[in-house]
Amino acid sequence: MQPPQPPSSKQVAPRPTHTPYPELRWHERLNVLSVTLLLLGFAVLVSLPAVRGSDRELNYLANARRFLSYFFPPDFSVAGQALGALWETFQIAVMATAFAAVLSLPLAAMGAQNLAPRPCVWLARLILNGVRTVPSLIWALIGVAVVGANPLAGVIGLTFYSIGYLGKFFSDAFESVDVTVARGLRAIGADPVQAFQHGVWPHAKPLVLSHVLWMLEYNLRSASIIGIVGAGGVGTLLHGFQEYYAWEKFAAVLFFILVMVTALDLLGERVRHRITQRLRPTDLS
Amino acid sequence: MIVSVPSLSDSSPHVVAENLGLERNGRWLFRGLNFQVPRGKFVAVVGPSGVGKSSLLACLSGLVTPQEGQVWYACTATDAGRRQPPSGVQKHIGIVFQNFMLVPNSPVLANVLLGRLGRYPWWRTLCGFSCADRLEAFHLIEDVGLAAYTHRSVGQTSGGEQQRTALARALFQEPEIYLADEPVSNLDAYLTGRVLGRLRQEAALHQRTVFCVLHNAELVERFADWVLSLDPQAPDGWKLREVRA
Repeated sequence: MQPPQPPSSKQVAPRPTHTPYPELRWHERLNVLSVTLLLLGFAVLVSLPAVRGSDRELNYLANARRFLSYFFPPDFSVAGQALGALWETFQIAVMATAFAAVLSLPLAAMGAQNLAPRPCVWLARLILNGVRTVPSLIWALIGVAVVGANPLAGVIGLTFYSIGYLGKFFSDAFESVDVTVARGLRAIGADPVQAFQHGVWPHAKPLVLSHVLWMLEYNLRSASIIGIVGAGGVGTLLHGFQEYYAWEKFAAVLFFILVMVTALDLLGERVRHRITQRLRPTDLS
Repeated sequence: MIVSVPSLSDSSPHVVAENLGLERNGRWLFRGLNFQVPRGKFVAVVGPSGVGKSSLLACLSGLVTPQEGQVWYACTATDAGRRQPPSGVQKHIGIVFQNFMLVPNSPVLANVLLGRLGRYPWWRTLCGFSCADRLEAFHLIEDVGLAAYTHRSVGQTSGGEQQRTALARALFQEPEIYLADEPVSNLDAYLTGRVLGRLRQEAALHQRTVFCVLHNAELVERFADWVLSLDPQAPDGWKLREVRA
């Protein structure tokens, strides 16, 4: 192998120009994902005291085993009572979802940036955020304070709670719609309501229906809890058994809730899947 | 330079453009556009792609506000022919959009019925249209050869079928002015003849004014009364000529 010869002064080959490797500085490596992960890690670190416990010498495992042993065997003699309460829970959830769906539609349309003017959007979002901030149990307490301890309190409580969520979901559904069809209808003389009904609603309908079904499933679970503050349904029954330490009966009611919620979850998921599949807008060529 | 062209007809104008100019992305598409189109004329708008034909139709429909000039309509149905801007006569303007602007989830019949939204207040159409309207819409669907697709979702039909649905919607509206943006771009020769023949019939028999964007010179000569050609080189180089008196 011959050693490399120095090029003569006349035949200097041009040195190949390489683009220097683009090094990123530390702050250029940051993006939304990495910053979020860093913040989450920091939040976990500063929250560690929450899992410290009471500092007393307790055998957690033995406590859990002892408490769960109270639940067995479940006392199914309360089946009739439990099923009646579950039916009431179902009614509360259905009525609350229906009222919320109707009431949140205009609020959602007002809160959609592609449909309403900016001041309207701000106002609607302020209302929806405010409603969403209050937990369902507090809304149920307000309901009990207004109409007394009965299922109507539960309906009122869950209606307000659901408006906060459905309003937000519907608003997002409307914002995902391409409004050019609605604009086209306005151009041939349709008024704003007609343009919404025929130009926006058909596109948003599958999503809206899917959200309503999801809310119904959610309300069925919530309606089981709000009875604890006297808002009717199976929660009231649970609260009563808990007060008298009737844990076997409590377990039987929990079993029925589990069966109902699981069955409705499965059914709801199937129906929602079919709705979004069948009514998914097809692109126009 | 703004060029003014005198009216080609002595009869009272139906559609008037006064010194119309539209700028898009820093380029003037047309400028100083003047015309007075009398009732019952078929005006073909021609020019190469990107010259501004669709934008001109958008100006005429009121969807786009021109930077210069204005458009006026003198519809008999509105204040006895008084001059109105596009926003005042929207329900009398039937549009066949280039991209159809149909509701893909809805059936062909429902889409055609939408043509009459402007005729009724919202509370009359909230629960649907009358049986008479539905029957009339079906006859139009039959006319454009889509009877078998009446209840089929528009999203499941072909481009040509969607185009005919859009045309049926405009016809069902029974407007005084038609703005058709390439209404035959997806149709075969037979259907092209039928569709343009129908628009020609609307102009000749019912005294409605038709603005139609066309690319085919033979079709222009066969169906149009006037030709408005836009010039890609000069925004004020547009020409309006009479094909047939």
